[in-house]
Amino acid sequence: MAHALDEAGARSPVTLGALFAAFLKTSMYGFGGPIVWVRRIIVDERGWLSDRDFADLLSFCQFLPGPNVVSLTVCIGAKFRGPAGALSALAGFILVPWMVGFALGAFFLSYAQTPLLQGILRGVAAAAAGLLIATGIRLLLPHRRRPMALAFAALAFIGLALLKFPLLIVVLGLVPLSIAVARPDRVPAR
Amino acid sequence: MNPSVSLVTHIALLAIISFGGVPGVLPDLHDFVVTSNSWLSDREFANCFAIVQAIPGPNMILMMSFIGWKVGGLPTAIASALVTFGPPCALSYAAFHFWDRFRETAWQQRVRRGLAPVTIGLVIAGGYVMTRAGDSGWPGLAVTAAAVALMLATRINPLWLVAAGGALGGLGAL
Repeated sequence: MAHALDEAGARSPVTLGALFAAFLKTSMYGFGGPIVWVRRIIVDERGWLSDRDFADLLSFCQFLPGPNVVSLTVCIGAKFRGPAGALSALAGFILVPWMVGFALGAFFLSYAQTPLLQGILRGVAAAAAGLLIATGIRLLLPHRRRPMALAFAALAFIGLALLKFPLLIVVLGLVPLSIAVARPDRVPAR
Repeated sequence: MNPSVSLVTHIALLAIISFGGVPGVLPDLHDFVVTSNSWLSDREFANCFAIVQAIPGPNMILMMSFIGWKVGGLPTAIASALVTFGPPCALSYAAFHFWDRFRETAWQQRVRRGLAPVTIGLVIAGGYVMTRAGDSGWPGLAVTAAAVALMLATRINPLWLVAAGGALGGLGAL
């Protein structure tokens, strides 16, 4: 996007240290949704990727196992600086933020029995569960005209949430079937 | 088996098959940790989920760490964190090169379109199970429903919704 390029000006060099710093920042800012911050810092602020390249990479990372944002971190690091880049970006994203987050969280959890904190956590959990459901619904919208896609999403939901099958069974049972019935025609670019 | 070893092994397995992201493993993890083994209560599990929404940092890795911490202290917390991102990272690195080489091929689009609906169903299931685990009656469900509606209908920063939920809970409304 022209806007992003203008704002970024000359793209800053992607050194190992710069990767570490950029992902340290995304992680420490990343309340609620770290993906939002990765886009803002990598695309708008540093100008390392275009919006389109970012969207491509993100959709790929959404299918990889593990935390999506961690996959994204590894892929962006690898894209620019190979294995060392992947490690630098990953170290930036996890090392310090994990220690800070763990210390903070452990502190709060040891006071979780107090009525005030108990109430706050209950409210936060209810809202955060809503964010997850909304994220799923938003991801499902582009597929709404594909009955097969809706059926497989529903089956995955029923299998895991209602019938309480183990994840492995649900994934191994549904993914091959879902790929077998998928049409290989083009997905409209967004 | 020692609870710590059993937990870390289970998290490692879940992490490797967590296509679509970690929230999809929550139903299975909840079943394993709360229902089958009773290491955590429903409330404690929901607390671990809630706390990581309220602090910065890699939230799903932190959630696994807190569950590990409750089961076996700091060493289990660190091991749980490592197995949550370690194997998936190695896989991401390998897959990135492979994927990059075969971009735009028909089979790749087919895999993409087949995987997507299943991963989406898993994410929604994660939200559903967390609603049940947090079980705070109809006021809690109302907060969840309001969060879903506002997220879909507006471009509000999710952080405000989390803060509003926390404020309502803190005031004793839930």
